[in-house]
Amino acid sequence: MKGCNNKVSVRVCQLLVLSFVVCQLLFNLGACSSINCPVQTTVLTKYEIRNAAGLDTLNDTLYVWTQRMDENDTLLNRVTGSSSFTLPISYSHPEDTLVFLLADTAGLWTLDTLWLKKDDIPHFESVDCAAHFFHRITDVRCTHRGIDSVVIANPKVDYDQERTHLYIYFGGIRH
Amino acid sequence: MIRKGLICISILAAFAISTRTSAQGFLKWEADSVPLFRGFAVGFDLAGAAQQMLGDYGQLEGSLRLNLHNQYFPIVELGIGKANHEMDQVTGITYRTKAPYFRIGADVNLMKKKHTGNRIFAGLRYGFTSYKIDMDRQPFPDPVWLWDVSFGVKDEPCSQHWAELLLGIDAKVAGPLHLGWSVRYRRRLAHNDGVTEKTWYVPGYGIQGSTVLGYTFNMLIDI
Repeated sequence: MKGCNNKVSVRVCQLLVLSFVVCQLLFNLGACSSINCPVQTTVLTKYEIRNAAGLDTLNDTLYVWTQRMDENDTLLNRVTGSSSFTLPISYSHPEDTLVFLLADTAGLWTLDTLWLKKDDIPHFESVDCAAHFFHRITDVRCTHRGIDSVVIANPKVDYDQERTHLYIYFGGIRH
Repeated sequence: MIRKGLICISILAAFAISTRTSAQGFLKWEADSVPLFRGFAVGFDLAGAAQQMLGDYGQLEGSLRLNLHNQYFPIVELGIGKANHEMDQVTGITYRTKAPYFRIGADVNLMKKKHTGNRIFAGLRYGFTSYKIDMDRQPFPDPVWLWDVSFGVKDEPCSQHWAELLLGIDAKVAGPLHLGWSVRYRRRLAHNDGVTEKTWYVPGYGIQGSTVLGYTFNMLIDI
């Protein structure tokens, strides 16, 4: 009887160890196959064109530049007839400097500089997903030749492509 | 992940219903002369230790379990969870954390004959950990401005509360030695993931997510 009990114990032990190994395999395989990185990982600032009455449309043509390492400085080229536009935001500069050129059909143009101050927040999804930065806009200021003013609408800049971050009012002094 | 959770709950529910009918109510106290207090058991989770040895993360976990009438088992589980994922081959991200955690809860023996030493049990746990993460990546170029960027946080404080629903077996192998495993459905109750808004390995919980499935393989000794 005692021998029988020992045999049962050995069987139980074998069964448990086998189930442990199976569990290890199942869970480890499961872990390998479930990488859930976001599909949309572009982080952009959205500018909405406004006037005193609300949403406005850009009748002139807009160009935006910045200073980049490769000297290919254009961020936005010939935008017209639009109520909003998006611009990239630097990963780790405390302040981005953007140059806005607004040209009308008569050949008149204005040149403004916009400074966007922000906090850069490392955003992490998983070790399997690429590194990105989110941002919190802390201040925005500009010259006022073609731009009347710029207002922060939503300071948080992340993967959300629909959120408007800045309201821009054109209509300043022209040269 | 949700599907896994639903499967786990379905199995538990089906099992509870079948046990209710066969054992005439598993929560019903078995009327016999066995005393209420049946001693303690100390345990060690071999699965967490194996996970830590074989992979980038895992936990060393011990438990102290009270035996009430071979039916109810209040339990405290204490452990240290550790992750050391060095420079991911694809993303280049390094993630490190090491922190203690605890779980507290109870198991119920679902067997009709509760005094055999072999048990099938269901249980509930509440778990908590407060941990710090180090995360970094080798400098990489900003995709638009093109200059190199550093990415990372150091000693970022995080915490998490969670609940667990578990189903397991426990078999008497020899003398006071028991072996058994449990499958655990874990659900996050509240969490603070610091500035990065997400973490990866959470000590005692596993890879982050609102729900996860986990398991333990326990070696227990009755004392």
